[in-house]
Amino acid sequence: MNALLRFLSVPAQVLSKVPGLGPVIRACSTSVGQKVVMAITGLSLCGFLIAHLAGNLQLFAGEQVFNDYAHKLHSLGPILAAAEIGLFATFAFHIGLAISTGAMNRVARGQSYAMKESKQGIFIIPGGAFSWMVVTGFVILAFLVVHIVDMKFKKGIGVDYTAALNAEKVADNEFQAVKAVLSHPLHALIYLIGLIALGIHLSHGVRSALQTLGLNHKNWNFILRWTGFLFAWAIAGGFISLIAWAFAHKS
Amino acid sequence: MSSETLNLTLRVWRQPGPNTQGAFKEYRLNGVNTHMSFLEMLDVLNEQLIADGQEPVAFDHDCREGICGMCSLMINGQAHGPDKGTTTCQLHMRRFQNGQVITIEPWRAAAFPVVRDLVVDRSAFDRIIASGGYVSVNTGNAPDGNCIPVPGARQEVAMDAAACIGCGACVAACKNASAMLFVSAKVSQLAVLPQGHPERTSRVLGMVAQMDKEGFGSCTNTSECEAACPAEVSVAHIARLNREYLKAVAFADR
Repeated sequence: MNALLRFLSVPAQVLSKVPGLGPVIRACSTSVGQKVVMAITGLSLCGFLIAHLAGNLQLFAGEQVFNDYAHKLHSLGPILAAAEIGLFATFAFHIGLAISTGAMNRVARGQSYAMKESKQGIFIIPGGAFSWMVVTGFVILAFLVVHIVDMKFKKGIGVDYTAALNAEKVADNEFQAVKAVLSHPLHALIYLIGLIALGIHLSHGVRSALQTLGLNHKNWNFILRWTGFLFAWAIAGGFISLIAWAFAHKS
Repeated sequence: MSSETLNLTLRVWRQPGPNTQGAFKEYRLNGVNTHMSFLEMLDVLNEQLIADGQEPVAFDHDCREGICGMCSLMINGQAHGPDKGTTTCQLHMRRFQNGQVITIEPWRAAAFPVVRDLVVDRSAFDRIIASGGYVSVNTGNAPDGNCIPVPGARQEVAMDAAACIGCGACVAACKNASAMLFVSAKVSQLAVLPQGHPERTSRVLGMVAQMDKEGFGSCTNTSECEAACPAEVSVAHIARLNREYLKAVAFADR
């Protein structure tokens, strides 16, 4: 565990040597600073989710509209590539810090309790969504790998891409590709599990990120708590509706 | 209603010293008066142990009226036992059932090493306080009372934070063994008052640095600390600690 922590602290140590970056990296390396970076990257990824869902909901508008959107997005070229690199970097920071703080927290406990009970009320999910952040995080990561193989590389196992990969067309028919993946039972199940994990992850993550950034006031807490919860399930539910749509329009 | 006396089985953590192996040991304790506090019950156990020629159980205690922060104990997996807003010394045996098995453990945190049995070394908290949890006051004549006006609502916030007795239940209950609630209370009680303003940035930076140095975990906002806190300090203070930290990092003079 300590070796893992030493390994994970290497990027911070290297970055703090860069002239001008030192004080910022040191401020971000404390227990509070790491959580702040965690919160900012998490909320950034939420921003990506909004854009991604807004784009994908155009599936409901039909083949022409969605393919036009997809082609426009792909024609951005270097801008899209830069955005993708930024997205991967954000994921890397978020996941790296999750592992680093997780390891730090395990070391901080030392010997575990023979018996441990909570003084909080009953949760919808056993132990509360916050007990599942690492588990759901890794489920989402595994889902992402499947998702990128399915949609970007169009190599989803068992998926029939014939309608999507038309040799005569200049670009792939993304509408047919999405439909083919989402209407495949096994892939639909993987997506469903991934999205439920995402809903659980965000239902704690959004409120937690806002608290980490200092937002906690009795006038606002009710709204903040419900905004986090509703945002989480609106995002997850929005994506799940696309799976339902694919099954309804299965050819 | 529970009966007037209880017969209990106690599973107590016994550890002769800081670097020795510890283990649970079971004791039978009969005829426990339900009006006793939890610590008085342990006193009775120790008298029984001494009479049997055994080593008594070491545990921390002082005022026994819930304000000093010396008592601790993980009772059946709960810091200070099953009641909310209560220290172990204010917990009464009528909260337990006849024939119940009670597991008693010390606080578990790498920063709180076991000294002996149920006693842990909480001097990490003292070192955090020493790294910034103070105000500088000139010696000489005592200043006039109320010469610096403080609005009533501010006083209340400061007082809520100052309710922290430094017992360490937040660290014990937190799944990350994080001292964030303690540090946030100690930062907040001074940050909201004008008297605490001169050291405001150095305080939060110093205390967070010392907290990390002591090896406490980080905060995942589970609010388990707030639920376990006998002084019912709110996690809103943790949000203030985060704000103070961000402000200090972004705008500190040096």
